[in-house]
Amino acid sequence: MKCVSVATEGAEILFYWTDEEFEESLRLKFGHSENEAEELPALEDQLSTLLAPVIISSMTMLEKLSDTYTCFSTENSNYLYVLHLFGECLFIAINGDHTESEGDLRRKLCVLKYLFEVHFGLVTMDGQLIRKELRPPDLGQRAQMWAHFQSLLWTYSRLREEEQSFAVEAVERLIHPQLCELCIETLERYVVEAINSSPSRGGEEALHAFLLVHSKLLAFYSSHTASSLRPADLLALILLVQDLHPSEHTVEEDGDAQPSPQRRPWSSQNIPMQQPRNPRTSDQTKDSPSGTQDTDSFSLPEEYFTPAPSPGEQSSGSTIWLEVAPSAVPQVAEDTLQMLAPHSSVPPSPRRIFLDASVKDNYCPLVPHTMYCLPLWPGISMVLLTKSPSTPLALVLYQLLDGFSLLEKKLKEGQEAGSALRSQPLVGDLRQRMDKFVKNRGGQEIQSTWLEFKSKAFSRTEPGSAWELLQVCGKLKRQLCAIYRLTFLSTAPSRGGPHLPQSLLDRAQRLMRERLLDWKDFLLVKSRRNITMVSYLEDFPGLVHFIYVDRTTGQMVAPSLNNSEKTSSELGKGPLAAFVKAKVWALIQMARRYLQKGYTTLLSHDGDFCCSYFLWFENDMGYKLQMIEVPVLSDDSVPIGVLGGDYYRKLLRYYSKSHPAEAVRCYELLALHLSVIPTDLLVQQASQLARRLSEASRVPLP
Amino acid sequence: MATSTSPETKSASWWNYFFLYDGSKVKEEGDPTRAGICYFYPSQTVLDRQELLCGQIAGVVRCVSDLSGSPPTLIRLRRLKFAVKAEEDYLWVLGCAVELPDTSCKQFLDQLIGFFNFYNGPVSLAYKNHSQEELSLQWDTFIEQVLKNTGDLHKIFNSLWNLDKTKVEPLLLLKAALILQTCQRTPHVLAGCILYKGLIVSTQLTPSLTAKILLHRPAPLDQRLPAAGDATQDPGASFPPNVQITPVFLTEEEAASLHEFPVEQMPRPARLQDSTARRLAKDWSTSALKKEAAWARMSATTPGPVYPDRVWPNGKTENGHFPAGEVEDWGPTGLHTTAKGQVPGLSCFLHQGPGFLQEETDLSEIHIAEAQEGGASSGHCALLQVYAPGDRGLHLKDSVRDANHLEPVPPEGMATGCPHPSSSLDVLAQNGAREQHEDLPGTSSYTPVPGTDPCPTQPSGPPSPHPDPEQRGSELLSGHQGVDQQVDGVGESLAATGLECVSDSADSQGDGPSADRADSRLSPVGGPRLVQLNLYTHSVKGLVLSLLAEAPLLRDSTAIEEVYHSSLASLNGLEVHLKETLPRDQAGSTAGTYSFVHHDHIQNVLTANLPPVASAQDRHFLQAVSLMHSDFAQRPTLYEMTVRNASTAVYACCSPAQETYFQPLMAASRSSGFPNPQDGAFSLAGKAKQKLLKHGVNLL
Repeated sequence: MKCVSVATEGAEILFYWTDEEFEESLRLKFGHSENEAEELPALEDQLSTLLAPVIISSMTMLEKLSDTYTCFSTENSNYLYVLHLFGECLFIAINGDHTESEGDLRRKLCVLKYLFEVHFGLVTMDGQLIRKELRPPDLGQRAQMWAHFQSLLWTYSRLREEEQSFAVEAVERLIHPQLCELCIETLERYVVEAINSSPSRGGEEALHAFLLVHSKLLAFYSSHTASSLRPADLLALILLVQDLHPSEHTVEEDGDAQPSPQRRPWSSQNIPMQQPRNPRTSDQTKDSPSGTQDTDSFSLPEEYFTPAPSPGEQSSGSTIWLEVAPSAVPQVAEDTLQMLAPHSSVPPSPRRIFLDASVKDNYCPLVPHTMYCLPLWPGISMVLLTKSPSTPLALVLYQLLDGFSLLEKKLKEGQEAGSALRSQPLVGDLRQRMDKFVKNRGGQEIQSTWLEFKSKAFSRTEPGSAWELLQVCGKLKRQLCAIYRLTFLSTAPSRGGPHLPQSLLDRAQRLMRERLLDWKDFLLVKSRRNITMVSYLEDFPGLVHFIYVDRTTGQMVAPSLNNSEKTSSELGKGPLAAFVKAKVWALIQMARRYLQKGYTTLLSHDGDFCCSYFLWFENDMGYKLQMIEVPVLSDDSVPIGVLGGDYYRKLLRYYSKSHPAEAVRCYELLALHLSVIPTDLLVQQASQLARRLSEASRVPLP
Repeated sequence: MATSTSPETKSASWWNYFFLYDGSKVKEEGDPTRAGICYFYPSQTVLDRQELLCGQIAGVVRCVSDLSGSPPTLIRLRRLKFAVKAEEDYLWVLGCAVELPDTSCKQFLDQLIGFFNFYNGPVSLAYKNHSQEELSLQWDTFIEQVLKNTGDLHKIFNSLWNLDKTKVEPLLLLKAALILQTCQRTPHVLAGCILYKGLIVSTQLTPSLTAKILLHRPAPLDQRLPAAGDATQDPGASFPPNVQITPVFLTEEEAASLHEFPVEQMPRPARLQDSTARRLAKDWSTSALKKEAAWARMSATTPGPVYPDRVWPNGKTENGHFPAGEVEDWGPTGLHTTAKGQVPGLSCFLHQGPGFLQEETDLSEIHIAEAQEGGASSGHCALLQVYAPGDRGLHLKDSVRDANHLEPVPPEGMATGCPHPSSSLDVLAQNGAREQHEDLPGTSSYTPVPGTDPCPTQPSGPPSPHPDPEQRGSELLSGHQGVDQQVDGVGESLAATGLECVSDSADSQGDGPSADRADSRLSPVGGPRLVQLNLYTHSVKGLVLSLLAEAPLLRDSTAIEEVYHSSLASLNGLEVHLKETLPRDQAGSTAGTYSFVHHDHIQNVLTANLPPVASAQDRHFLQAVSLMHSDFAQRPTLYEMTVRNASTAVYACCSPAQETYFQPLMAASRSSGFPNPQDGAFSLAGKAKQKLLKHGVNLL
C-alpha cells in the first residue's frame, strides 16, 4: 500500500506513483460508490479527489497559521502520510503496510524532488513551468513522463532495499586496483580524449566517463577541465543507469520472489496512450508469465542489449550471461525486454541531466550536462557525461535567479522598498548583471519586464510598493526560467538537440568492450564478492558485518551481503542472511535517527547482536579531530542522507567553520557484533577496523 | 491532594491547544464551525483561530479516514503536533509542541479523555445533562492540574506522581497498605489508594485508575452532588466529616480489574494471557516494596475466615435491603440457601470469597458463583450500569431510580431466575452458573477453593484439580465477560435470557419508559463502555484516602461509617508521620556526579534525581531519554543503549519491568568520536549498575 503524489496548490496532480495494492484500494472505493457500468475516473483524478481536502487544508493552514502539515499517522502507524512542501508543490507519500518509516517516506519525497531537479534543472524553481514539464497537456506525453519517474522510483526503492550503497547513500567501488588502472587509462585515452579531439563532436565536450558493474563503480575518469562530480550526483547517475539497465541480480531475485511488488507494472491504463512507446505501461499482459512472452524473450535480448554492430562479442556476452543464471532467463529476458524496449523508439541516451558543477570557478547548481549510457554487457555499463557550449549561460541564469530570489526574500521579510533597497549591494550587483544579460540576449518580453522593474525599484520619484516589486520580481524570475527551459530543455539531446554523433560513441563502446572482454566474467562475479567477511573474521572475532563510509568522497566499503537464492554469501542463503541484512538496515536507520538528533556515537544491544555507530572527523593527515555539537534537526527536516539533500556536505561545512585552517574529512563506521563480545573489546575492534580500512583507502586507487 | 487556588490556567509552552468538537452539530453547508466547538483551550483564543483549527483538523480527519479506513491519531505540523481521537461525532484534539514525543502527546489526550469520562461519564451524556459552561470549568480544572503537575520527565513517561520511597520509612508504606486492606473488608468497597499531597503513598489500583484519582480535585460537595442524581438524596446522605462520595465511571477493563482482585490468585491461564503482566502485578502490589506486597497478600486473605461471620449480618440486617427470605425466593433454584445467605456481604467482597469459602468447604464453586451472583444482583441494583456513548437517551439517575423502584417488589421476572433488571451482568453470571451446575452435577464434591489462596500455609497448592469450571465461574464473576456479552450480542443466546428478564420486569412494572431505557442501554454501540462506581474520598489534611466502591455504598450509611471509623485513626497517624518525615528529606537531594531516571513499567512510577529546574546538561539528558524511550517502546528486542554527543553520554537499559537511564555529570571529554576503548562512554553500564544500587535500582 504505497503511494506518492505531487500536487499543486489547487490539487492538480503533477505526478503520482502507486503500487498495485493502493490502486486496488482506490478501485474498491470508487467502484462501490459509482455506477458499475460507468467507467472509473482516471487514477490521477481519483487521487486528486481523495487528496484535495488535505492539499487545500494544508495550504489554508500555511496561509492562516504559517504552519503546515508534515505527517499524519493512524492507529499503530497502520497508515503513514508524509507531506513535504517544495516551493508551490506539495509532495505526499503514503504507506499502509508498515514497510516504510516516516524517515523513509520523507527521504523518498526528497529523492523524487532531486530527480526532478536532475531532469529539469532550475525550471523546478518555477511552479508554473515545472507544471508544464511534469504534466504535459498531451496525454501520451504525460503518460510517458510519469512512467519514466514511476520507473525511477521503483528502481530507487529497489536499490534502497537491496544495495548497501543505496542504503547508506554512498558510492561503492569495486576493489581491484590493477583493473581500475587499466580502465582509467582506457577511459582517458580512448574515450574522453578521443572524443574531445574528434572534430565531429560539435560543441560537446566530454567531461567525465565512468564504468559501472551493476551498481558498483569500477573506474572513474574526469577530464582536466572538468570540476569534480558530487557524490550525490554520481549516485543519481548510478540510479539512472540502473533504471535503464537493471542488473541481472535484481531480475534474478524478482524471478525468485514471484509476487515482488517492485517490478510489477503499474497500470496507467487510465491515461489513453497515443503511442504505445513504453510497453511497461501499454503491455498489460506482463503479469501472466505465459508462453507467448517467453518465446519472444528468448530471441529478443541480444537485439536490445547490444545495439552496437559487433555481433560476435554480443552473442558471447549473452551466452555467458545466460550461463550465469540459466533458470532465471525467461524473467530476465522478459524484464530486459520491458526495460529496454521503450528505448527502441525513444533513445535512452543521450539524456539531458542537470548536475552541480563549477563554471569559471563559480559554483553553480544544476548545470546542464548530456549523459550517454553505453551498455557493454548486461550488468556492465560505461557512462559518458558531456557539456554543451551553452553552459556559461546556465551560470548567468542561475546567478540572476538566485539574486531575484534573495531580493524576493528580503521584500517578503518586510524590508522597505525604495532607497533602502537601492542601497543594497546585492541589488546593485543584480542590476548590473541583469542589464548586461538583457542587452546581450534578452527578448522583447524580458526587456519590458526589466524596464518595469527598474522603474519601480530605482525610481526616485515614485517608487513602487514592496508588493508591486514582488509581482515584477516573480514575473522576471518566470521569464528567466522560461529562457532556461527553452535553452536547455526544449533543445535537449533527447528532443533532437545537439549531441555526439553515434559513430564516436560506438567506437568508444567497442574499444572499451575489447579492453574488458577478458575481465568481464571476473567483474560480474567480483561485483557480488567485492569484499568478503572471511578476510576479517580472523582478526575480528565476533564481528558480523560492518560498513565504513568516507563522507568526504562519498564512498563506502562493506562486505558483500547477498541474500538471494542464487548467490549465497558467507552467511549462507535465505533466512540467516536476510536476518543479518535486516539488522544492518535497522542499524543504518537508527544511526541516522540519532545523528539527526545530534548523537555521533551509538552503541546498542539488540537481541543477540550489538550494533555500534561512530562518526568522527579527521584532518588530511589522518589526525582525529575533536567532536563537536552536531546540529539537532527537527523530524520534518530533510532526512539525513545524500540523495535528497546532501547532509554530510553541510555537516562538513559546519565543522570547517571551527577548523578553517584544515581540510576536514568525515567518516562513519557501522558495525554489527555478536552481543557476547564485551563492550571494551568491541570498541577496540571497531577502532582497529577503522584504522585498517582507512589505511586501505589511503592507498591511492589510481 | 494538591489543590490549586488560581482559577486561571497558565498556558504552558508545550501545551498549545485542546478542543472537543462535535461534528454532528456542523452537518449542513451553512452550519458555522463554532456551533460544534464544545470546549476550546486556551479559551482566550480568537474565535477565528478556534474555527480554523477545528474545521481544518476535522476536515483532515475525515479525509484520512476516507483514504485509510481509520482516522489519524496524530497530525503533525512543523511547529505543532495534534493528538487526535475521533469517537463517533466527537473529535478530541490536543495540540502540543513538536518537541513532545508522539506517544506522550497521544497519552496526554487519552489521559484527559479518561479524566473526563471518569468523573462525568460518556461525553455525549455529559453534554446532554450539563451545561457547556459547567463542563468547561471541569476541563479547565483537569488541564490546569495536568499542567501544574507535569514535569519534564513526566512528559516523557506520562508516569504517576509518587512519594520517593527511599525517603519514607518502609513501615509507613506498609501501614498505608494495611489501611487499604482494612477498608476492603467493608461492604461495597473494592479497592483504593492513599495519596499524600498529590503523591501516591500506596495504591491497589491500576496505574490508569490511580492517575484519574490523583488528578481529582475534591470539589465542594454540593457541586458534585447533582452528578450523582436522585439516588444521592437518600436519607443516608450525610457523610462523616471530610468524606465525599462521588459517582465515577470506569471503563470495562478498569472495572474488571477491580473485580479481578480476588480471582487473580486462582490459576486461570486464559485470563492471565489476556491481562498484561503489568496489570496483574499491579492488581496485587501496593506501591510498597515487593516484600511488603507479598506480606500484604497474605494479610489480605488471612482475615477471610473471620469475615463472613462478622460482616454479613451487618449487610443483611442493618441495611435491611435484603431480607433473607427474599433472597431465597430470588434464587433460581432455591438449592443453595446457605450460600445465598451470605450474599449481601459477599457481593462486595468477591475477592475475599476464598477466605470465606474455606469454612464452607462442602460447597462447590457453583454454589459460590450463584451465591455471589445472587448477592450482586440483590445488593447492586445499580452496580454495573453499562453505558455506551451513543446512548444519549440514557439517564443515569433514571436507571438508579428504576433500580430503587424495583427493589422492594419481587416482580414476575424474578421467578425466571433473573432477579434484577438493572444488572444483566448478574443475570449472565447466574446463567453461566446454572449452566455449569447442570453440566457438572458432580462438581459439588468440592473444588478446592483454598487453592485460590496464596497463603503458603494452606494445605492445597494453587493448581486446581478442576481448572475448567473454576475458570468459567471466575470469569463470570469478574463481570467482564458478562458485560461484553450483554452489549455485544443482544441477539446471542446467552444474552437472550438476560434481555428477556429486563423486558419482563419492565413490563411487570407497567413502566413503558423504563423498558425503553432498558432497550437503549442494551443496544450495542461502539466505543468504550463505562461502568458506574462510587469514589469515596476521605481527606485528613494532606492525606487522602480514596476508595472505589460499588454504587450501594452511597445509601449504606453503616458501611460508610464503618470505613470511616476503621481508617480514621490510622490515617491520622499516617499523616502525622508523613508530615514529620517528608519535608525534612525533600531538601536532601544534592547535586551528585550523575543523573538517573528509573521508570517502573508495572506501577508507572519514576525514580529520578533530576533537579526541578533543568540545567543544560539535564536538557541533553532529557532529550536522550525521550529518544531512547521511544526506541525501547518500538523495538522489543532492544535492551541496552549508549548514546553520546559532544556534551554528554547517556546509558540506558530496559527490561519488561523497567527502564533505567544514567548520565554521568562530568566535564565533557575532549575526545574525538573515533572508537576508543578508553572512552568513558563505553563503561557507563558498569558505573550505572554500581551507582544506582543505593537508590534501590538493581541492574545487576
